[in-house]
Amino acid sequence: MAKSATLAVKDGKIRSSINALLADLLSKQVVEAVLVPLAHPAGNNVVQSLVTNPDYLEQADVFAPVMPVNAGRIIQAMTRLTPANKKTAVVMRPCELRALVELVKLRQAQLDNLYLIGIDCPGAYSVSDYPKYAAEKTSDDFVKAAWNGKDDPMLRAGCQVCEYPVPLMTDLTIGSVGQDLKKQLLLLASTEKGEELLEGLGLTAEEDSQAAAQRHTAVDQLLNKIKETREKFFEQTREEIGGADKLATVFGPCIKCQNCRVACPVCYCRECFFVSPTFELEAEKYLGAAEKRGAMRMPTDTLLFHLTRMTHMAASCIGCGACEEACPNAIPLLKIFQLTGTNVQKLFDYIPGRSLEDELPPTAFKEDELEWIGEK
Amino acid sequence: MEKRVGVYICHCGSNIAGYLDVEKLTEYAQSLDSVVVARHYAFMCSDPGQDMIKDDIRELDLNRVLVCSCSPTLHLRTFREACQAAGLNPHLCEMATIREICSWVHSHDEQAATEKAMALVAAGVRRVLYRDPLETRFAPVNPNTLVVGGGIAGIQTALEIADSEHKVFLVEKEPSIGGRMAQLGKTFPYLEPAMDILAPRMKQMVASEYVELMTYSEVTELSGYIGNFKAIINKKARNVDAAKCDSCGACWEKCPVEVDSEFDHGLSKRKAIYRPFPEAVPNIPVIDHEHCNHFLSGDCTICQEACPVKAIDYEQEDEEIEVEAGAVIVATGYDTLDPTPITQYGYGKFDNVITSPEFERMASASGPTGGNIVLKDSSTPKSVAIIHCVGSRDENYRQYCSRVCCMYSLKYARFLKETLDADVYQMYIDMRCFGKGHEEFYKEASDAGVNFVRGKVAQVTDITQEDEEKGKLIVVGEDTLLGTLIRIPVDMIILSVAMQPRAETDKISRVFLLGCSADGFFLERHPKLDPVGTMLDGVFAVGCCQGPKDISDTVAQATGAAARAIELISKGRVEMEAATASVDEEVCSACGFCEAICAYNAIEVDPKKRLAVVNEALCKGCGACTVNCPSKALQLKNFGPKQLMDVIDEATKEYAGLAS
Repeated sequence: MAKSATLAVKDGKIRSSINALLADLLSKQVVEAVLVPLAHPAGNNVVQSLVTNPDYLEQADVFAPVMPVNAGRIIQAMTRLTPANKKTAVVMRPCELRALVELVKLRQAQLDNLYLIGIDCPGAYSVSDYPKYAAEKTSDDFVKAAWNGKDDPMLRAGCQVCEYPVPLMTDLTIGSVGQDLKKQLLLLASTEKGEELLEGLGLTAEEDSQAAAQRHTAVDQLLNKIKETREKFFEQTREEIGGADKLATVFGPCIKCQNCRVACPVCYCRECFFVSPTFELEAEKYLGAAEKRGAMRMPTDTLLFHLTRMTHMAASCIGCGACEEACPNAIPLLKIFQLTGTNVQKLFDYIPGRSLEDELPPTAFKEDELEWIGEK
Repeated sequence: MEKRVGVYICHCGSNIAGYLDVEKLTEYAQSLDSVVVARHYAFMCSDPGQDMIKDDIRELDLNRVLVCSCSPTLHLRTFREACQAAGLNPHLCEMATIREICSWVHSHDEQAATEKAMALVAAGVRRVLYRDPLETRFAPVNPNTLVVGGGIAGIQTALEIADSEHKVFLVEKEPSIGGRMAQLGKTFPYLEPAMDILAPRMKQMVASEYVELMTYSEVTELSGYIGNFKAIINKKARNVDAAKCDSCGACWEKCPVEVDSEFDHGLSKRKAIYRPFPEAVPNIPVIDHEHCNHFLSGDCTICQEACPVKAIDYEQEDEEIEVEAGAVIVATGYDTLDPTPITQYGYGKFDNVITSPEFERMASASGPTGGNIVLKDSSTPKSVAIIHCVGSRDENYRQYCSRVCCMYSLKYARFLKETLDADVYQMYIDMRCFGKGHEEFYKEASDAGVNFVRGKVAQVTDITQEDEEKGKLIVVGEDTLLGTLIRIPVDMIILSVAMQPRAETDKISRVFLLGCSADGFFLERHPKLDPVGTMLDGVFAVGCCQGPKDISDTVAQATGAAARAIELISKGRVEMEAATASVDEEVCSACGFCEAICAYNAIEVDPKKRLAVVNEALCKGCGACTVNCPSKALQLKNFGPKQLMDVIDEATKEYAGLAS
């Protein structure tokens, strides 16, 4: 069903070709605003920006390997109270799109008037690693190298084991997998909104193009390769953190700063239970508990905090790794959450961020699920 | 205000005192903070026990009471009422269960049981200290009743309520009321024709000014709560103007389309415009859109032309009607099992193997054969075998006993003996004739020369072994009393098929929020003490939708349900749950988890305010939302997280490890 068009890569420059396309969206008034990462003039960072003047889009850099904030969070901030009142194109990575889908299902974001443009994502570095890379290379170098199949040990842990480096739900995909990047990119419309964008840009879309077929094959190969990588990763992670003792050890460095919760794009409570008055206790409670136990770890409830967050988030964890990035003490949160999350999601036959139709496991009632529990 | 707690420890005879040290427990309770008095007594629930609490409230100025005894489901109400009688808000009284989860299960170890009881009492004191007085709220009761299903159960309920001069809406999905009973021949054990008893009651339904009949209609949605339900009813288009039609029959006589009659189980034909049976109430035909030429191709108007009073209206459309009622009575009846899959009995393969519902139609004086029992070739059977428990008491089909088959099978036998003097064989497993006059009925059949063969029939076949079997159906099986294999050649075989839940049970249970027991019938609230109530207050289930039963039992149950509805109406108000959930508006993220999980539809997210809103009238205080809310924005009154944490801390204080 998907219609596609090609975007010529002018003079072999991927970034500027995409930027010209985005600028066209504004100047041809297909949309009135674009949310896209713009390169910071200092060159040491790239930040999501809401652009209405097409001139700024020269600085856009969608493949720059850094993701300071999961853009799902940005859309949440923007549309939680009211939907966008102007047509807005948002250029996002697959994990950002998936976070957004979860947020929409959690009624924390609204898609009205948004045009979701997803990219095939080669991954990102930590914010602290990015300047080193940016000083020497460009995002064009990065994307070309990535799809050539080279492993990049500098990538964030989450990106190294990312399950879905291609968009699951989007209106338009800027396809780079399986394309001759010196010549062209693929613009793949998967919804009417996507087709509307192509039409507005004056691009002729065709059904079942050869470029689309090439991407399809390449994506299949990519996903198969990832499957193997992930299996190894899970095996290793189980060894590292399996069992209550190891879990206690791995969370040992936690100072309960709750940065992970703040960075997580899906953790959506307006007020976290762990900052609520329930956890504001009188001194006698602390001293009383210490007396009973002989010694009590302070701050309290670090493990309880993570386990609670895990219960709330496991089904919706999209593996973006924002939590791990945010941790000041290098707790391998992504590993823990991906291991748990993937298993929980399998249990409920749920893929977070795949579609708005899939019901969130905590709200879906199925009479005949988990029947094996209690059988033994 | 200073909190003054009284702790009352019950011996429950020796149920508690026999297994733990109540003296020591009382001493311990007395030592706890805020406890003014701790006492123990043989039976706290007795009058002297309750008086002890009441006197202390008055004399010692208690403002919190903890009773340590059985489970709160048994006696919380008792003790709360006692406290209320002494002027204390009932919600300031709590119970600690030291019987079910303590003395009974630790009967082998007095010391451990006593220690656990101490923890439970200490936690209980904490719990009661945190209790806030709640106000008991009442809601008014709408005096109308909605009865769903127009069989004998629904008719009986409706007429009883109408007799008390209260309005009843009766909704029936078929074109006429009467249900399964209207299809029966005679009734056991007194052999009155079913229609003779039923028809006057059906007429009363029309005559009563308190009954509003809605036939050819279905309830599609039920909302609200006990005393205040709102139902949406889809009234299908009859395409016949009831005000004009005088049931002259000109339309169905002229209609060119013939269809198998559902009412006669295909033993006769009906037209595309039809009334299901001559005694139908209302006696107004309906047009069956699936078969009517007008609705299929648009060019036939024969019935419209034939109608002398111009009552046919092809333009009529389905209507949606909203009805308000205080109580809802579900009487949606049963289906009978289709024996085709039980291939060894040959139903569908042999012409003269028929089911019990088909036999009932033949035996009915107004039925398709005028009350004559005939074989497929219209001749009269000289020998008949009746196979019991077809699909009933059979693990492959229905495990339960359908409770009526033995009796109607005897009824058939007597009918066949009396009208045809046929040889009749009852192929039974056990004869279950437990009702009033039933055993006598059995004896009479036996005396009349009916043959009783005990054993499960293995097969029905037309493959003959001897000359006398030629042209007959042969019942092959084992006579378990004689221990011999038997072959009985007969002309006709009647399968006494199981009663089973309606095919639409799932749909009905979703609309009325009814549970089903393992057999698939609607679940009663309590099998002994509340056989007509359901888990949803104000909704009752009666008749065969709750389980197989005969007409007498159905009528008894229907009368009971009517009494329950009238009780509700005459009281005029219902007590609402006081410990309802509430939303912390500062914290709520409006994610809708609570809305999705609430089994009572008591929570809705207001998209404008971006808040979950609890309808206190619907909330049962079950707490599902409070545990599902990730922010704990929803809290149950008197069960807030702090209140619970403190209780858990207290209960586990001896065992706290380095958990965090």
